[in-house]
Amino acid sequence: MRTKPLSIVLRHGALVIVCFIMLVPFYWVIKTSITNENIYAYPPRLLPEAPHLFNYVDVWYFIPFARYLLNSVIVSAIAVAGNVVFNAMAAYALTKHFVGKQSVMLLFLSCMLVPFQATIIPAYLITAKLGLLNTYLGLALPLMSTIVCIFIYKAAFEAVPQSLIDAARVDGLKERQVILRILMPLSKPAVATNVILAFIWSWNAFLWPLIITREPIMQTLPLGLARFLSYLEDTTGALYAFAVMVLAPSIFVFLMAQKEFIRGLTSGATKG
Amino acid sequence: MMLPAWIRNRWVIVPAILAISIVLWNSYVTAHNGGLVEGSVIDAAGRPVPGATVTLFERSFVAYTSKDTTKADDAGLFRFTNNQNHALQLEAASPILGKSDRHSIRLWFRAQNFRLVEPLRLAGR
Repeated sequence: MRTKPLSIVLRHGALVIVCFIMLVPFYWVIKTSITNENIYAYPPRLLPEAPHLFNYVDVWYFIPFARYLLNSVIVSAIAVAGNVVFNAMAAYALTKHFVGKQSVMLLFLSCMLVPFQATIIPAYLITAKLGLLNTYLGLALPLMSTIVCIFIYKAAFEAVPQSLIDAARVDGLKERQVILRILMPLSKPAVATNVILAFIWSWNAFLWPLIITREPIMQTLPLGLARFLSYLEDTTGALYAFAVMVLAPSIFVFLMAQKEFIRGLTSGATKG
Repeated sequence: MMLPAWIRNRWVIVPAILAISIVLWNSYVTAHNGGLVEGSVIDAAGRPVPGATVTLFERSFVAYTSKDTTKADDAGLFRFTNNQNHALQLEAASPILGKSDRHSIRLWFRAQNFRLVEPLRLAGR
């Protein structure tokens, strides 16, 4: 059945309008970051007046931005590695049949209902017992495995034909090798989704790093943003420049892997 | 000659471009961060003002604070050689001709060598 040109135009027009509405806040943040405009000015200007990039220079030098960036990169890298490995192991176990599997699934789903704020004190005490306060590993620890990502892996692993896994076993592959050589390469969208979600969550984490860091030198970018706000509360342009610099890496990672990300989120949603 | 497939991957090309850009930018910064700030002082009629005192203000979080002073030479030229900041103000003063307006300077990086195009004009205030 051929789609009528008019319906295509209408559909695309609607999509363009929705895209515009969703991108306006981003545009406004970027526009404010390259000017020193008051965001409450009325009437608001659509185009930036006398744009410049010096707010970004201020952000780079007024606080140890490079150090915060390094901390965030290290913590995110640990969290991403943890998610890719541990979630795959957990998901593979959940694709098997064992006694109490339904209970485990129910427990996982129940745990998703509990907000992190409610478990932050036990998490802090455990991290303290492990001697990981004020360390990169401690910063990444609660983010190294997430239940949502386990289920994304599980859906991807279940989509792999059982005959393929059986054939791998006949060829002499052990369980670990089945995951590494068969399931993971066939679940690239799920891996990409894990990478992106883990990166974004660890990159934007605020409360946990705030609690377990003891020294400013161990702080991550969101904490730096709060600190910057306390220093330069009247400089909207610089503040927005900081926000752009904090957001840029996660947007960059998303844009690089958006195809796999979308495929990963939708895999298992449809049959056939 | 065709490049290997792993090089033509966007996960290689984009980070490589970023890394090259960072290296180039840092090379440029290293070659131009001598901390030199120079310019000239003139009076209301546009004549050089020898001996005028020029003050360099550095921006901290909330205000500009005086960092260094120097004197203009016979041709009205002045020079600071150890600026380490990126947001500055310059002000010239003479006992006879008064003070100039403060001239704000924004640099792209700390200690960037900079030559003031517009002279500091003593307005007789």
